[in-house]
Amino acid sequence: MMANVWAVIRREYLQRVRSKWFIFSTIGAPLLLAGAMILPTYFTSKGQEADRTIAVVDSTGVLADNLLPRLEEAGFTAHTVPWTPDVSAELTQQALDGEDLGGFVLLNAETLRSGHAALYVKSSPGLTRRLALKSAVAQSALEAQLTAMNVDVGALLKGGDLDVQLLTAEGGGFENPRFLTAYMGSILLYMVILIYSVAVMRATLEEKTSRIVEIVISSMKPWHLMLGKILGVGAVGLTQMAVWFLSGAIMMLVGLPAMLAARPEMGTMDQFQEFLPGLGLLGLFISFFVFGYFMFSGLYAAVGAMCNSDEEAQQAQFPVMLFIIIPFIFVMPIIQSPTSSMAVGLSLVPLFSPILMFARAAAGAAPAWQVGLSFVLMALAVVAVAWVAGRIYKVGILMAGKRPTLPELWRWVREA
Amino acid sequence: MTDGGFAVRLEGVTKRFGKHTAVGGLDLEVPRGVIYGLLGPNGSGKTTTIRMIMGILHPDEGRVRLFGADADDVRRTKVGYLPEERGVYKKMKCLDLVLFLGEIRGVPRAEGRRRGMAWLERLGLGDWADKKVEDLSKGMQQKVQFIGTVIHEPELLILDEPFSGLDPINQDVLEEIVLDFHAKGTTILFSTHLMDQAERLCQRVCLISKAKKVLDADLKELKAAERRGLVAVEFDGPDRWLQGPEVRSVEKVNGATHLLLHDGADHQAILRRGVDAGANIYRFDLVEPRLHEIFVRHAGDGATGDAGTPTGVPGTIGGGR
Repeated sequence: MMANVWAVIRREYLQRVRSKWFIFSTIGAPLLLAGAMILPTYFTSKGQEADRTIAVVDSTGVLADNLLPRLEEAGFTAHTVPWTPDVSAELTQQALDGEDLGGFVLLNAETLRSGHAALYVKSSPGLTRRLALKSAVAQSALEAQLTAMNVDVGALLKGGDLDVQLLTAEGGGFENPRFLTAYMGSILLYMVILIYSVAVMRATLEEKTSRIVEIVISSMKPWHLMLGKILGVGAVGLTQMAVWFLSGAIMMLVGLPAMLAARPEMGTMDQFQEFLPGLGLLGLFISFFVFGYFMFSGLYAAVGAMCNSDEEAQQAQFPVMLFIIIPFIFVMPIIQSPTSSMAVGLSLVPLFSPILMFARAAAGAAPAWQVGLSFVLMALAVVAVAWVAGRIYKVGILMAGKRPTLPELWRWVREA
Repeated sequence: MTDGGFAVRLEGVTKRFGKHTAVGGLDLEVPRGVIYGLLGPNGSGKTTTIRMIMGILHPDEGRVRLFGADADDVRRTKVGYLPEERGVYKKMKCLDLVLFLGEIRGVPRAEGRRRGMAWLERLGLGDWADKKVEDLSKGMQQKVQFIGTVIHEPELLILDEPFSGLDPINQDVLEEIVLDFHAKGTTILFSTHLMDQAERLCQRVCLISKAKKVLDADLKELKAAERRGLVAVEFDGPDRWLQGPEVRSVEKVNGATHLLLHDGADHQAILRRGVDAGANIYRFDLVEPRLHEIFVRHAGDGATGDAGTPTGVPGTIGGGR
């Protein structure tokens, strides 16, 4: 009967992958994101290079040296021009006549005192560039004033530096980027598991209410239909993630360097690198998705099978939803103290593991044996869910009339 | 006949929903190769019976045999089933839906494509093969679903109210197809409350009322046996003589008056009463009853629906006409 399951998987998969929604969310979303990254780059490189070339006229003699590297950092090409009474007129002429100068900035004693400077340009620079220029001037002024007092202005202006050492039993702490990755990753897991499990519920409900299930069930075992449905929808989820990760990788490896080259004021590659998840973490993400999805999609299929309308399903899914919401509430506290006994205990509960164990593992605070144990427990839970949900599904999918009460459900499970 | 001689055989099948008995101890035998009509008022248990044959419901008692084998073993490939409540995957393309329904009954996709296209062409849907089902009219969707029912060339076709929801032209098309299948040797079991259709198509009928079988017979023999039960009268003068202990109901049909008699009633007594009453009787005819009248006779007061029509028929077949 594998041919039947295969036919259901195939139908479910192709039907979904061809839908407008899937194409948009899978291919459109990364494209939009890539577009947002690459288009500005494209326009800037097309835009006149000369607009970013500015001359610096420093009548104080102490600002230009500090300012030039900062301007380079902010994406300008800058050079100094010595001050003369007629320099403004000359540079204006040069900028307007030629193609190689976008404008000039005048620095004087007032700049040194208050950071006030004057910028003359052919075309107004964008907001980020203007801000970058303004703060570059102000920082240079500050630096020039304070250097005389032996202050390490550069370090201070970067926002200082803080060594964080976490006081935990195991000694190891974790630093900021991992925290963020763990949090974002578990939210994403939460979303994809929920989205695709609910999709299984909706598909089940649709088949039931449209009555096509009567035809399908007269040709195959309910269990095969449920299995095919879950595998088909799951394959769609994996496809979507594969496309996302792949396009994400391309963006990070190709798009990001290109963007940073064009807009250096946005930061350096190293700064971004800190936040990027590694391959191991991606593998863990996919594994937790697969196990989490198998548990929840089974439960959601059972919910879909026992209901007769969307409204009913909205209510009936709540108990199942709790098992996704509860770990979600605990994500934050658990990432903050990932080695507490509460964190270890909760993250080993199979229905909680996909979110909580992933969060701990991503934060680097879960020993390998705990992660391994959680997968063993989840595998057992998948079998248990398949057994219970399969029985509820079998009875429910052909049952019209009111939603079963808990005792009735239990009878379905026993008698099916 | 041996078990295997029957396409369908139900033995003492009972199905209860709570305290309500939907089907009670039903025995049913559908010989191979016949067109078999399952008749009965709404709520009489027709659909429940069909659902048990299709394995959608499980009988509380009794058993279902198909082609002399356990129903579950042969159902998938040998039976085509059109449920009463039509269901389709609305978002699928017509041909894809047909292919899928064939695939789950063991028709390879290439073969399914060939057969599916041929059927779509035959039913005038050739240009719609690549259109989504939801873009089709209700009647067209029903045709697509019918193609899905027969795509695996079943030996037994089970159609639950197949004619409901079809316009007269498409009712004729479907009738023609059913007769085609019959000519090829396919057994056809269908339920209906449309007596005209059943009368035209069926060789055997089974009448169910209130969860029980009240009649199960060859249609020709049945009609011959029932011949004495219906009298068509045309007359002038008083009409009170029409009422009497023999007469079950009086109905005007095409200018004539049809008297439906009780079993074993003496029609001569009615005639004598008419002559005595001074009526000028110029037609007094024992006619072959229409299935409709046989039905009403047997379903009797058990038939639900709009009882008490203007002509005084005690029970008509309720239904969604």
